[in-house]
Amino acid sequence: MELNLSDEQTMLRDSVQRFVAEQYGLDGLRRVEAEATGWASDNWRQLAELGWLALPFAEEAGGLGGSLEDLAVLMIEFGSGHVLEPYVSTAVMCGQLLADAGGQGDLVGQVIAGEKVLAFAHTETARPADPLAVTATVATAEGDGYVLSGAKRVVVDAAGADHLVVSALVGETAGLFLVDTASAGLSMTTYGLIDGSAAADIVFDRLKLPADRLIATGELARTLTRDAIERGTLAWLAQAVGSLERCVSLTSAYVAERQQYGRPIGKFQALQHILANMFVESQEARSALYHALAHWHATPEERSRALSSAKIVICSAGRYISRNGIQLHGGYGMTEEFLIGHHFRRQIVIEKLFGDLDHHLAAFAAGAV
Amino acid sequence: MRIRPYEHLEDFRQEVRAFIRENLPEAEARRISRATYNSFRDIGASLWWTSRLHEKGWSVPFWPVEYGGADWEPMQHFVLHEEMAMADAPTSNVQGTHLAGPMVYLYGSDFLKELILPGIREGKAAWSQGFSEPGAGSDLASLRTAARREGDRYIVKGQKIWTSGAYQADWGFFLVRTSQHEKKQQGISFLLIPMDTPGITVRQIPQINNDAHLCEVFLDDVEVPAAYMVGEEGQGWTYAKALLNLERTDSSFIFLNKREIVRLKRLIALEQPDGPVTADDHALRMRLAVVEAQVNALEWSVLRMLANEKRDYPTSAIASALKVRGSDLQQAITEIQIDVIGSKALRRYDRDTVCAGQFDLDAFWHDDVPGRTYGAIYSRSATVYGGSRQIQGNIIAKTAFGL
Repeated sequence: MELNLSDEQTMLRDSVQRFVAEQYGLDGLRRVEAEATGWASDNWRQLAELGWLALPFAEEAGGLGGSLEDLAVLMIEFGSGHVLEPYVSTAVMCGQLLADAGGQGDLVGQVIAGEKVLAFAHTETARPADPLAVTATVATAEGDGYVLSGAKRVVVDAAGADHLVVSALVGETAGLFLVDTASAGLSMTTYGLIDGSAAADIVFDRLKLPADRLIATGELARTLTRDAIERGTLAWLAQAVGSLERCVSLTSAYVAERQQYGRPIGKFQALQHILANMFVESQEARSALYHALAHWHATPEERSRALSSAKIVICSAGRYISRNGIQLHGGYGMTEEFLIGHHFRRQIVIEKLFGDLDHHLAAFAAGAV
Repeated sequence: MRIRPYEHLEDFRQEVRAFIRENLPEAEARRISRATYNSFRDIGASLWWTSRLHEKGWSVPFWPVEYGGADWEPMQHFVLHEEMAMADAPTSNVQGTHLAGPMVYLYGSDFLKELILPGIREGKAAWSQGFSEPGAGSDLASLRTAARREGDRYIVKGQKIWTSGAYQADWGFFLVRTSQHEKKQQGISFLLIPMDTPGITVRQIPQINNDAHLCEVFLDDVEVPAAYMVGEEGQGWTYAKALLNLERTDSSFIFLNKREIVRLKRLIALEQPDGPVTADDHALRMRLAVVEAQVNALEWSVLRMLANEKRDYPTSAIASALKVRGSDLQQAITEIQIDVIGSKALRRYDRDTVCAGQFDLDAFWHDDVPGRTYGAIYSRSATVYGGSRQIQGNIIAKTAFGL
């Protein structure tokens, strides 16, 4: 086992840090937030040029064959830099789903080239008891293809997407379809999210799909869906770790600088102990991520449990750290002019996507005894 | 970064399991399991188990090979301790194996190495640690117990407190003041003292967990050969700090925490037919989920330390974080345990009786009941000893953030 970064991983980390230094920070973040899509097209081109969109794909698919650890390195830095581009939706969830399913080689190539953005149109309710379940979207075989009807809610990164991977019921079984967002019969209501990214509610009204737009049905569709959600959850958890670690460094720097009563407020023990607790939480959060990574190739049950275990620790840590980060920043923590508040909102978004903290607590508890 | 923790150690793990199976009688493991999770009163069991391990060459594997160590990679130590904890093997007399022993081989004379190390390695001598004093707890450097040099002897006068196991120890290692300086960390020395030396009086302190392993040690003009001084006079503080850096992951109590999670699950399963607190209890399951997830993370915090992961923060801060989470978890897990057994947690047990296994067993008063409450009560000390939770907070603020 090797926990230190390889030379390649170090180069990857350094190049993301350069990207963040040039394109993000408060100014860059404001620029991206102003986009209706929730991301900036020039940033997206850079993601492609730097090879990051190719990273998680197998070499046969035109990718770089990066490991899960490589992806984690990239995602931790994205989280630290509050990068909003739809990387997880496009590459980690949908792109890899298509690569795994096969038969969409051209589109996967376009994803790697940065020419197409994808979103996973799956969730239908605000707080699904089963994040895998689909009930409100139905595909019916008609003629040579299918007719898709139903609705999806809060589809992250859909606002600027070219295609959607849509989960739907096909008769009694699960199905996955590839849908062009410009299709007739598709209407989309887009809105910004609190972290500056964007999402959409999507309605399919007898949307006609040729047969070749069916990605998978039955057990394969269910497996692909679960894998996509778990890969996405892992990637977002790695972002959460990067973000909460950044909250710790932002806050420690702030209390060392901010003067009150003639000394830095970090000299006060009450504040020191909050910061120390934030430090403990951040250490445990990264450890939880490693726990999930270590179990990725175990049985599906063990992998899911480890992921839930990680989500419990990381999102609890994210809550504690980002909220106390605001507290220690005082009034400035309530402003948009300090990064701490942006990370706070990012932590909330990450926690709620594809199975929130309570869901993972319940799932983890259910398998415990 | 390539995360694959155990893949090459499966053979070693099986070897450890086989050793435990062959050497640890089931009745003894059960006796230890049903007591509380600390075994200070089990010094005989500790020394016996160390002697068994010694025959295998495993009693002090982390020591340098020339003193009886095993030249293992860090993960082997982890596997050995994990398996022993899960099997309810006796814990070692850590004051000897982890503190006095390393102190002597790092800083002691050849005379001391020959005198001291075999007894620890072979499980023949019990040790205790004389650091704290009534006026020197968290502020340890304020200690006042004095050692005055007279010819080839030191004359020691003073008082120690919280000296675990002093009443049954053969030896104690003591921090004593050998000279006065403006800076109180200077002039402190490390002295080894046989506990049967005239002038030593030990008083056991009754504890709220129905134990009395904590002791007061009174030293009244105790004569100690000067050759029992470890290293140079006046270097005791430096040595003590170096010692604390040797074993940076022990304070996580990861193996104890893992074992108590297993026990908690066993308790929940056992209590299932018994009443409202069952495996279907939603609130209870949520509490279990939180602590189990935290133990999973804590284990990786330990593995990260063992794998020498490069960090942005100094090791002392990270070790303090292990202590904070490890001690919080001991308290949280044992508290849930006594909630699971309900009113059965209220029954007072005589600890010696429990240790000897002399109590009635039936489905209601089952094997896992007797040790739980005193275990939970004892766990309150986890955030007090070895640098309180608040001291750890100070250390993190200072070393990680320069505050």
